[in-house]
Amino acid sequence: MAASSVRTGRLLALAAAAAVAIAYPIPLQLGGYTYFQTVGFLVLLNAMLGVGWNVIGGWAGQFDFGPQVFLAIGAYTAVVLFIHLGLSPWLGMLAGIALAAVVCALVTYPLTRLRGHYFAIATVAIWMIAQPIGATWEFINGSRGLFVPMKPAAGALDALVTLQFAGARKGLAYYYVGLALLALTLYGAWVVERSKLGFYFRAIRDDQEGAEGIGIDSRLYKVIARSVTAAVYGAAGVLYAFWALAVFPEQVLDLNWSVLPMMATVVGGIGRLWGPVLGAVILIPISQIMSTTLGTGPLAGRGVDLIVYGLIIIVIAAVRPTGLLSLPWGRWLRLSPAPSAPASDIGSRSGDVAARSGDVGPRSGDVASRP
Amino acid sequence: MAALLELEAATKRFGGLTANKDVSIRIDTGEIVGLIGPNGAGKTTLFNCITGYMHPDAGRIVFDGVDVSRTGPHTICHLGVARTWQVVRTFGRMTVLENVVCGALARTNRMAEAEARARRLLTFTGLGGKEAMRAANLTLADKKRLEIARALATQPRLLLLDEAMSGLTPFETAMAVDLVRRIHAELGLTLCIVEHVMEVVMPLSHRVVVLDYGVKIAEGAPADVVRNELVIKAYLGEHYRDRR
Repeated sequence: MAASSVRTGRLLALAAAAAVAIAYPIPLQLGGYTYFQTVGFLVLLNAMLGVGWNVIGGWAGQFDFGPQVFLAIGAYTAVVLFIHLGLSPWLGMLAGIALAAVVCALVTYPLTRLRGHYFAIATVAIWMIAQPIGATWEFINGSRGLFVPMKPAAGALDALVTLQFAGARKGLAYYYVGLALLALTLYGAWVVERSKLGFYFRAIRDDQEGAEGIGIDSRLYKVIARSVTAAVYGAAGVLYAFWALAVFPEQVLDLNWSVLPMMATVVGGIGRLWGPVLGAVILIPISQIMSTTLGTGPLAGRGVDLIVYGLIIIVIAAVRPTGLLSLPWGRWLRLSPAPSAPASDIGSRSGDVAARSGDVGPRSGDVASRP
Repeated sequence: MAALLELEAATKRFGGLTANKDVSIRIDTGEIVGLIGPNGAGKTTLFNCITGYMHPDAGRIVFDGVDVSRTGPHTICHLGVARTWQVVRTFGRMTVLENVVCGALARTNRMAEAEARARRLLTFTGLGGKEAMRAANLTLADKKRLEIARALATQPRLLLLDEAMSGLTPFETAMAVDLVRRIHAELGLTLCIVEHVMEVVMPLSHRVVVLDYGVKIAEGAPADVVRNELVIKAYLGEHYRDRR
């Protein structure tokens, strides 16, 4: 039936995307192009952050410019626990997630009386408060930052437990850890999207008064939405800190931790599960490739990548504000004129296409779910 | 009969303007009460106070024995009061079904149960077959019906309809009147309706309350209210007297 073929198509699309993602770093490893594994890792990290940002920004509809605060909390928590107690970064990640979510709930609750631009400004204010704290708090070494002590791993398993990968396989290992965390984040977001939480977040985005009238505590659910975002940022912060082997306040509190995932989300499709992933796949390599190719030339370090980002955002905002995923991929790829066909029909077609062309899989698969 | 909702001298001021002044209204279980009055009489303000979007500056609002004068809208919804809006507040980017599921989730955390109830109510309100449409793409009449379905999904005992029939064609209005009657008869809800179309509100209501400049100027059976001199002067107009 139509519905089940949509489902099959989407599952095949997902499998194809997963296969491409899993296979990507292997030829690079064999050919010695490990730099592109790092680019892949940064794509995955920003995709993960985008999926997290999408919860508060896309579903709940409250633009958030300050989630990097929770990335910093996650990073510092795990690194401090690793330095002082020798705790595995994975346990540190759980602690970081918990602390990020709790701090987020406490600081966000007063902000939830605000909405729209005012909420966004308040999230910036929280971030500005966090900066001097990070730069002056002696316990976390202030602006001198913390370094992750290198402990030579006693084997592959030990390296995985302590998240300490060195040498030629570092890029490969972090790529797969990032991929696993992104998959976990996507699965979590998928569950939330279909749950009461997902429905309530979107109701608040569409009409806050209307939502309150049907029994939704808008302040509570805004806090929950932002805490989910904070939890994802906390986890990503741990990953980033152990990859970078250091935590500096100006680094983990960089505004780009919210702006890049936000741009990725808007380009790919705001409020769509796979939107941030598509956006990150497009945007992140641009800045990496630019900074490499411009090298030490006259344009190096002038923020040319930001100019390109700006142009992309302008084009998207003018032509397709709902993002690339909202384009009728299924119809285009199949080249079938079916604008008036029933929704399930379109879905099944794009599902078929998705099954055949692996690298566009998740995109058309998602279109299939939202005809 | 037991009073389901009781307003005791409720007063709401906006700066120097008194939108509701010492309004006392009692709505009994099983009634359909019409709330009428000229534009700016304070009808919507009264709805906003009852549903917790505003709080009265003086007086009390008691629903089913609970003082809700200072209670927020989501809590009042859980107590059993639902409302619709003069300017519709459907969730435009969600589908028709998702809109009603959101309402049903007020009483359950199980998605399957919420969806089943939502589908039943969409059939009941005549929106069956439009489940997958985006709410923003509905006609005004369907949006208003969707709001009613969404409100019903929260399983209220009292339903407040704020101009559910304004802007509708005569045929759509007749359908809406039929829906209100079925909500009362089949679902057993108590209703309070704000309406400007006298041909709708008079036959529908058991009792009519008239507001003017925030003050209750008349209350009683529809047949009595339309003969009330104050009401004719303030709201109905002289031509209404001639028509009778």
